[in-house]
Amino acid sequence: MGNIEFEKIKRPENIKLPHMLDFYPLEDEKSTRISQFFKNLKEGRLTTTKCKECGNLLWPPRIICSGCLSDKLEWVDLGVEGELYAFTEMKAGPPLGFVQDVPFCIGMIKIGGLLISARIDDARYEDLKIREKVKLKIVELEDGRVFYRFRRIG
Amino acid sequence: MKKVAIIGGGATKCGKREATWRELVQEAGKAMFDNVDNISPKDVEALLVGAAQPERFVFQVHVAPMVAEHLGITPTKVIATTELMCASGQAAIRYAWACIASGMADVAVALGVEKMFMPDMAEAQTNMTCVLDREWDGVNAMSAPPFFAMTAQRHMHEFGTTKEQMALVSVKNHHYSTMNPIAQFQKEVTVEKVLQSLMISPPLNLFDCSGITDGAAGVFLVPAEDAKKYTDTPMYIIGSGQASIGNAVNNLASITEWVPLKLAVKEALRTAKISVNDIDIAELHDCFTISELMEYEAFGWCAKGKGGKFIEDGEPYIGGKIAVNPRGGLLGCGHPLGATAILQSIDILQQFRGEVSRGRRVKGAEIAVAHNLSGAANVHSLMVYSRG
Ligand SMILES: [Zn+2]
Repeated sequence: MGNIEFEKIKRPENIKLPHMLDFYPLEDEKSTRISQFFKNLKEGRLTTTKCKECGNLLWPPRIICSGCLSDKLEWVDLGVEGELYAFTEMKAGPPLGFVQDVPFCIGMIKIGGLLISARIDDARYEDLKIREKVKLKIVELEDGRVFYRFRRIG
Repeated sequence: MKKVAIIGGGATKCGKREATWRELVQEAGKAMFDNVDNISPKDVEALLVGAAQPERFVFQVHVAPMVAEHLGITPTKVIATTELMCASGQAAIRYAWACIASGMADVAVALGVEKMFMPDMAEAQTNMTCVLDREWDGVNAMSAPPFFAMTAQRHMHEFGTTKEQMALVSVKNHHYSTMNPIAQFQKEVTVEKVLQSLMISPPLNLFDCSGITDGAAGVFLVPAEDAKKYTDTPMYIIGSGQASIGNAVNNLASITEWVPLKLAVKEALRTAKISVNDIDIAELHDCFTISELMEYEAFGWCAKGKGGKFIEDGEPYIGGKIAVNPRGGLLGCGHPLGATAILQSIDILQQFRGEVSRGRRVKGAEIAVAHNLSGAANVHSLMVYSRG
């Protein structure tokens, strides 16, 4: 009875950020059929898909139209300036991967006929106003992927 | 379609529990079987488990068979987990109801459970960020508090709603939860206390938000014609409504008016063959204070934009126009996602039976609604229950 073995075991101290905790979408052609969106973004253009059959503007970008189920879609520019519809600031309770950024602002932005959510950089909650104009900004991750944010114009 | 009855149920204490996911299931399961005579685990033919994110919170999927195993249930007709985020428990009730109403099963259990406290709470918050469209909204840290904060901001902007009016919802629901022994929060709050609590995501303070909660609860459903074999005081499902419009922020019907809720209310009243004035108790999904104000409006108890005034006038209290959340709501009781709708249904059953403490009892209540919203308030689910 006295010879039960006790052994301390080790697990890796650091684990690479797993894909399932990476909020940013995969954007290359091997991963998605809307990689054009990210190519356009790399050129400073915020775009989405529009249905050539019924004219529906679709967001997020799609491969079929949810209005008429056509797969004949085209890429259209949304412009680079939007208007703040609503905003708030993440002050407490951030998710993993956002902790280092707190506090930061998040908004709903009217742009090109859409209402999209996005981070608002270089601003505090107290500075912002409903209907304020904001401008597109592109952020690039370490691995070259890109995503859109907005910033104040003033 | 057969008429369906809920004949009893049981629940855990809710809050930050020193217990694992499976222990919450065992506590609720035992309480549930202890609550009803003449029923044993071997009688259960259908088991629906409402669980929103067990794969995230406790790293376990295929959870319905685990529930069955721990409670000695061996379903022969239907077994499945139902996920509809904050309405996962109501999804379980709805499918259990369908199993009985269709004649597929004679005894069904709807059991909801969520273990939300994790050693690192940032990980729990991360789980809440894949509820909205993760790649296009969640990526912007759009979890529930920022989304509902912006909803509140727009409601204040368009209708003049104030933070003080929103705080009154928290005051009311915490008042009722002090009389609910299984509630997470047992202390009264004041408007000042709400406004001075930690700012989470302006204009929402901590006490404008429902909690992170561990909890589980289960109920039995049987054909109405069999109900009296088990209890003298069953309650009946007399109607329901459920509607969903859009998902990503761009595709919602509106930010400040919950159109799917209006549709679900209309359908619930139509199927129950009642008018909104026949409702005696409304257990509404107050995940945030702003939610409850917008729900008064969508049900039509007050005009659009007048939710704040409605609570200022005391109308959603017991004795007012409609008793809203005499259980204590999600704000007072906590919000263990998958369990919430089951907890609502058990409390309504106890109201009908006169088993709740006097201070929060709705005397003579005959008809109640239970409501859950989920996601970006793009889905609204409603059940209508009656005493007789
Ligand atoms: Zn189309």
